[in-house]
Amino acid sequence: MRPPRVARAAFRRLSPRTRGALLRRAGLFAPWEDGYGLTPPAPAPGEHTGPPDFVGIGVQKAGTSWWYELIAGHPGVSARPDLHKERHYLSHFGTRPFGPSEVAEYHGWFPRRAGTITGEWTPDYLAYPWVPALLAEAAPAARLLVMVRDPVERFRSGLSFRLAQGALPTEATEALAVRQGFTAASLRRVLDRFPKEQVLVLQYERCAADPEGPLAATYRFLALDDGFRPAGLHRSVNVSGAKLDLDPEARRRLVELYAPDVDDLVGMFPDLDLALWPNFAGDTGDTGDTGDTGDGGPATGRRDGAVTGP
Amino acid sequence: MTWKDGVADLFQRAPAGLRGRLPAEQRADLRYYLGRYRPWEAGFDRPPPEPAPGQVTGPPDFVGIGAHMAGTGWWYRLIADHPGVTSRSDLPVARHYLTRFITRRFGPEEVDGYHRWFPRAPGTITGEWTPSYAARPWVAPLLPLACPEARLVFMVRDPIDRLLLGLARTSDSRASQAGDHMAEAVDRGYYAAQLRRVLAVVPSDRVLTLQYERCVADPAGQIAATYRFLGLDDSHRPAGLSRPPDDPAGPVPPLDPGTRRRLADLYAGDVADLAGLVPGLELRRWPSFAP
Repeated sequence: MRPPRVARAAFRRLSPRTRGALLRRAGLFAPWEDGYGLTPPAPAPGEHTGPPDFVGIGVQKAGTSWWYELIAGHPGVSARPDLHKERHYLSHFGTRPFGPSEVAEYHGWFPRRAGTITGEWTPDYLAYPWVPALLAEAAPAARLLVMVRDPVERFRSGLSFRLAQGALPTEATEALAVRQGFTAASLRRVLDRFPKEQVLVLQYERCAADPEGPLAATYRFLALDDGFRPAGLHRSVNVSGAKLDLDPEARRRLVELYAPDVDDLVGMFPDLDLALWPNFAGDTGDTGDTGDTGDGGPATGRRDGAVTGP
Repeated sequence: MTWKDGVADLFQRAPAGLRGRLPAEQRADLRYYLGRYRPWEAGFDRPPPEPAPGQVTGPPDFVGIGAHMAGTGWWYRLIADHPGVTSRSDLPVARHYLTRFITRRFGPEEVDGYHRWFPRAPGTITGEWTPSYAARPWVAPLLPLACPEARLVFMVRDPIDRLLLGLARTSDSRASQAGDHMAEAVDRGYYAAQLRRVLAVVPSDRVLTLQYERCVADPAGQIAATYRFLGLDDSHRPAGLSRPPDDPAGPVPPLDPGTRRRLADLYAGDVADLAGLVPGLELRRWPSFAP
């Protein structure tokens, strides 16, 4: 039963923290919340379940919702609107036992029609060190997708987003936003468990500037027909919004903090185009606001735009 | 006193049972509205109290940088018990000053601001212990700017025990972001990675890494080593030496063997690295990592 319009309007006026607390009190949880029920819904008639064919594992505030929708728009993909793109199932098993029954339960979250593939994209997985081991157990054949973004811009966007969502303005919230930018360190944990050919690293700025090539590469990586052109190709989702101010001296320190990780990332994935990350573009000296549109310069890497692929 | 101070004061004086009726989220919102931020929150801007007559301020002589849930409160009290140390009860042991500069400028004024948090009587030393300094990657580069001569103390503890105790502490973030809460707790146990960031900017002879389990087993020997490291007379025997206080989160919760193995895998590389960096580390005291 839907609450009356007045009640819904009043609810929206509450602070995000209060809204979340009320929903949790009413027993309504989001997939990333502690009380979320982990039992999957029953498959619809004609659907069957199994391990996901693909799992997007990172990163937050890098256009992953947009990219997931482009994948889900392909006729060869099953994506049920009642299932959140971020299943977050594995997030809950840091210190909880994870055995065959949990693996089966995880598979239950992936209903698909015959002849189609399906998957999820939980951008937090990459930043959760316990997830790669669980993923290797639960979905060893899944193809993994990682959308990376200039870590300093990602930090600004991520911290603003968390605060707007009602996270407390504590150093733990800031630390989380910082941690999510150490992409190479996190990817190394993934590559300890999965062969490199099973991981596709995409660069957000390149996808935003010219999505067609990276999307075709994504479809090919997922063994889908790469001639398909989905709706919404030139509309990025969920990356805009106010970003917090960063003092220039603090920005310089953040760039220094991330520089070794960015070097490592480029070492692992040499097609990453640093010209699109002015904070790290070497001697350009431009550390200004690069904005959200990723128009930092012409792509110089592979024409298909994927940083790495099979 | 402003009206906000008055309301905050009234709220603080209300019986705990009454305060507890307001959900944690709304208590936090009310605190922020009244401008009452905690030292580990970005909005905290309270100035330090004035030095007492005869006290002077300056950079801290020692800074404890970690780790959370590793008996740092106990060890700080043993240090503060020494007659050669100034420790004021109206100042938080964990100043949390340096954690607040991730998006803000950290220049000479901010360095001076930090020094004002360290009043001491002439002829004594003083310092602080903020257990999250080591875990916050942006803090290490600030240490040589803020206190280039300070001696740093890092207390480490079996990372699995530390993780379980950290998780047992209730937190607002736990309900709303279960994975983030867990990731924060896991991250605080990567001691070697944290120590490496510090050793990249501070000479190793100015960093003392202590092992909690060793301090529990031999408090007299370890506190004497700590006093010597701080340039203090090591013959002092502080009160409360024999027994660490109970962990604030209670005893270490039990863990099923399969999960323990996974967690040991998660930390194995970092623990091996730590053993290389800290020759005195006794891995036999960490059963999940014993050779």
